[in-house]
Amino acid sequence: MTTAIGRKTILGFPRQRKPNSSLLRYRQKWGWIFITPWLIGFSLFYFLPMVASFGFSLVSFNLATPDQIEFVGADNWRRAFVDDPEVLASFIKTFRFSAITLPAGMIFAIFVALLMNSKHVHGKIFMRTLFYAPVMIPGVAATLIWSGVLNEQTGWVNMLLQNIFGIQAVGVEGIRWLQNPQLIYYTYTLMGFWGVGNAMIIILAGLQGVPTELYEAAEIDGANYWQRLFKITLPMISPVIFYNLIIGVIGLMQYFLVPYVLNGGDGSPQGATRFIAVWFYKQSFAFFNMGYGATIAWMIFLVGIALTIALFGSARYWVYYSGSED
Amino acid sequence: MNKSRYFWLISLLVIVALALVACGGETTETTETTTGTDTTAATVAPAAPTTAPATGAPVRIRWFVGLGAGSDEPTFAPQQAVVDQFNASQNEIELVLEIVANDTAYDALATQIAGGNAPDIVGPVGIRGRDSFKGAWLDLQPFMDANNYDLSDFDPAMVDFYNVQEEGQLGIPFAIFPSFVLYNKDLFDEAGLAYPPHEFGAPYIDADGNSRDWNMDTLRELAMQLTVDRNGNDAFDADFDPTNIVQFGFMNQWTDPRGVGTFFGSGSLVADDGSAQIPTAWEAAWRWTYDGWWTDWFIPNGPYGGAEFLQGPGGPFSSGNLGMMHNHLWYVAPWALGDANFSWDLAATPNYNGEITSKMHADTFGILRGSRNSEAAFKVLTYLLSPEVAPQLLDIYGGMPARISLQEPWLNNYFETNFPAQNIDKQVVIDAMAYADNPNHESYMPSFLETTDRYNEFWNRLANEPGLNFDAEVATLKNALQAIFTAAR
Amino acid sequence: MVNKLNELRSSKKVREGFNGFALTSFGILVVAIFLMPLVYGIVTSLKTDNQITTLGAPWWPASARTFEYDGRTYDIFRVVECDADDNPIPWGHDADSLTTPDCGGLFGGAVYNWALVNRQRESAEFIDPDNPEAGLITWQGRWRTLERDWVFDAQWSNYLKAWDTIKFPRLLANTLVYALITTVAVVGSSALVAYGFARYPIPYKNVLFMIVIATIILPGAVTLIPQYAVFNQIGWVGTWLPLIVPAFFANGYNIFLLRQFFMSIPKEMEEAAMIDGAGPMRTFVSVILPQSVPALVAASLFHFFFAWNHFFEPLVYLAGSPDKYPITVGLTAFNNLYSQQTNLIQAASLISAIIPLIVFFFAQRVFLQGIVFTGVDK
Repeated sequence: MTTAIGRKTILGFPRQRKPNSSLLRYRQKWGWIFITPWLIGFSLFYFLPMVASFGFSLVSFNLATPDQIEFVGADNWRRAFVDDPEVLASFIKTFRFSAITLPAGMIFAIFVALLMNSKHVHGKIFMRTLFYAPVMIPGVAATLIWSGVLNEQTGWVNMLLQNIFGIQAVGVEGIRWLQNPQLIYYTYTLMGFWGVGNAMIIILAGLQGVPTELYEAAEIDGANYWQRLFKITLPMISPVIFYNLIIGVIGLMQYFLVPYVLNGGDGSPQGATRFIAVWFYKQSFAFFNMGYGATIAWMIFLVGIALTIALFGSARYWVYYSGSED
Repeated sequence: MNKSRYFWLISLLVIVALALVACGGETTETTETTTGTDTTAATVAPAAPTTAPATGAPVRIRWFVGLGAGSDEPTFAPQQAVVDQFNASQNEIELVLEIVANDTAYDALATQIAGGNAPDIVGPVGIRGRDSFKGAWLDLQPFMDANNYDLSDFDPAMVDFYNVQEEGQLGIPFAIFPSFVLYNKDLFDEAGLAYPPHEFGAPYIDADGNSRDWNMDTLRELAMQLTVDRNGNDAFDADFDPTNIVQFGFMNQWTDPRGVGTFFGSGSLVADDGSAQIPTAWEAAWRWTYDGWWTDWFIPNGPYGGAEFLQGPGGPFSSGNLGMMHNHLWYVAPWALGDANFSWDLAATPNYNGEITSKMHADTFGILRGSRNSEAAFKVLTYLLSPEVAPQLLDIYGGMPARISLQEPWLNNYFETNFPAQNIDKQVVIDAMAYADNPNHESYMPSFLETTDRYNEFWNRLANEPGLNFDAEVATLKNALQAIFTAAR
Repeated sequence: MVNKLNELRSSKKVREGFNGFALTSFGILVVAIFLMPLVYGIVTSLKTDNQITTLGAPWWPASARTFEYDGRTYDIFRVVECDADDNPIPWGHDADSLTTPDCGGLFGGAVYNWALVNRQRESAEFIDPDNPEAGLITWQGRWRTLERDWVFDAQWSNYLKAWDTIKFPRLLANTLVYALITTVAVVGSSALVAYGFARYPIPYKNVLFMIVIATIILPGAVTLIPQYAVFNQIGWVGTWLPLIVPAFFANGYNIFLLRQFFMSIPKEMEEAAMIDGAGPMRTFVSVILPQSVPALVAASLFHFFFAWNHFFEPLVYLAGSPDKYPITVGLTAFNNLYSQQTNLIQAASLISAIIPLIVFFFAQRVFLQGIVFTGVDK
């Protein structure tokens, strides 16, 4: 982002001129006043809890017996890294799930955005609204509705698959969307498609920002649709894709609602859905091991930071910012 | 949209919200507790009964329901009626009822205790509930001594049931729920099979008059004949189609691996030295069940467990598509079987290697150590457990009185009131008491909640995966439990 | 030459028309599949309880016809004379002399609607509802292979039942109050903070703003436990306070969104106000806010829906206080208790979904514009 003068920094703060110092102090004072709510909130609800959370990770504290709190030093951390196989396993499950759901979600969102951007489709405005509508549905309701339609015996997905393709989909020997640990990540991805609306709108905005001259030049050069897609469209919207990727990764580190609503967070089928946020919830609010839970939370935080930094680092290679003149 | 339209939209929303708060606010069945504005750190319970409060304002005693029975909707109004009755009968104590749904009750109670906002009386609570909150219960012995509480009407073994080492007498027996076999007479008739024996230890006499030992093998045979597929073939037929089963033979409904294991014999996952162990009877029971799920097909396995034809207010047995079930007295209640459109009756538990084990649930009320008015709480407890009031509550929860003098009249009345048409054999219930499991299948384990979660995961895995190496799975469970026990020390 | 041009033009039109038709149909197909679960939800929510537990029930809402005989109710089945392989099944009123029907004909034997009274493994006894005086009919087949006589029966009352059981007015009130209060609080406080970041020379503003962004991506889990422990100590757990009070202290996402917008407002108006002697707060209220209505509305709508669908923190803080549940947590609790009654679960889910959908459809233009607005700056 740049100012009218054209200089830019990472976040686009314009260079400030230096007015006289008493006006400066006056304006600084008012600046502080305006951001006071956030300053207080940040200290109370972010900074202090984070420090305290680290302190919690060093004690053994069970909410059911709150008077028996004791300092255990690095025991919680050792348990998380060494003794408890579930922590590492949960991280791996989360990564495996992300490897399936992030690309699938992204591709679907781009697909829908392209479709909604196509000049051949009539009634786009109406269809866009329809694609966006499920985002408004509370996650719990959406999860329950999907779990109904994916029911292996009475759900329509299996019935349609069986009737259209003739495969044994219904019943005990059929496709068990929610109980088959091999399938469950794909099932969750499918359920996640209902959230495509947000990404679709943002990608649409990005698509509409691509200058049409590029397409016209490419057409003159004889490029077909697919070449235009891969060489022009995708690179031009790579900032948008990057944004969705970051949001997606962060969201997946906290993925909790669907496993909790469907299985109470017990990890079924056979532990496959025990993602790291689910294991955190179990330890902290089901078993009440708050100290250990704080340790897991810190690990989620550190891994999240590492991933974000890595993603930002990789952006250099594939994200193309065209906005040098806004 | 322009500004004035926004204004109207928002005003409309605000008005709707306020209207809903005003009219949606009545909750007749639950009474909210006030979250203490004056709570500080959790109080330590007094060692001796406290003195009575100053005259004037009545002492407020909170009664927390939800760890066991009492959190189903039909029970709300009757429980509140008992509370109103108590409050009307005297002026010093105001009893307040708080009902929480069972699935969140453990969390809710733990939160309240930790926040220094512990209720006074908790119940009905079974052994599992008691052990989930180890260390939180008040020793009632001093109160019982101070009030000369009469224990003569109780079986001493039941009283001892509630005496926990190093913690004291944590409860006075209130309700017991023996277990036994329930069977669907219509399905037996349809299959042309004779009914199972009602007398504990008696043999099974089949339709031709032949007598056989009533044990797990016989049970299995009957169950397989009662497991039928879409075309009417039972599990013994060569044409039996396991993917199209429409009726099952047997199920240990609504219990966990410890309960299933106890079906074959009592035991514990915790050895005397505190390490993890798998009792041999339990391993046999689990293997029997695994075969019943995937080889012999007479028990609904994981995939079938959620099947629609096994749904009903009381789960599979109440759907009418399950031939036999082993469960407790609390199941024999209107909420589970009130709408059953088939004939059913009770039968004896089969033996395993000559021994019969009918696991027992026993519920009572406890007082929490965090209670600030333990003397008044004990008064309420006495009221609830008294020979006059206990039967009222027992009718609500479907539990047999622990008071010996009340047992037979209560049973007669209960069955006649709720199931007059079924002609239930009450003797089965009384006989089953003699075969209670010891140690109890819900007894204490280190890291109780986490351990429970872990063995449930083991069970779910078995229920959903055919072809596993059974011994390897059991070994894995044992190691996992050992890891949890070690971490808990 | 002109003909050729015309030909070219019309074939291009045809091609475009075809493309339009094809892609539009494709789009409609994708949307239909996308929204299919909603239709499933509606159809299932109208099913009868009985239908849910009976095998062989149709996929549309139906109830089995029944017949009352001798004080008990019996299901009516479609009893066939010839089984699936065209083998005849003997039947008759007199158990000792059954007639064997002819299954060779074109239509393969009749089908009767009879009520099943007695069932055995290999035979069954029925009553003809149109002729009950004739007594029991013996039929030597396997009754399990028969279909019941289903008749269309949509249970709209399921919605009322779900509404009552889940105590929807209470849930709705809770959610509405929570969403409204937090939206006003968050947007108001975030506007203040955003203005400070946008226009005022705060020392280390860059660093502070980066921290603001960082709070957006911070996993909530890290701060949750100490917050929970503290709230527990001061007795706020089980009330709405832990969820509402932090809203008064601004929120990173809204600060970011509003700051971007404020920075795009030309400075001249503020400078004019300053010259007229207005203080910073006055300028904020009278100059900035009126100009920012689209952004404020967008931010409010975003937060309103976010609060409406908020699940995790209410779950944790309100556990055990069912009176205070918002719709999301209430629906989960309902699912735990009534998971076997899929028709009620679907009805309750749809009720929860319909309200935000209705609000969305009314406000969609603003909403979508708002998202576009915030998304473009990437």
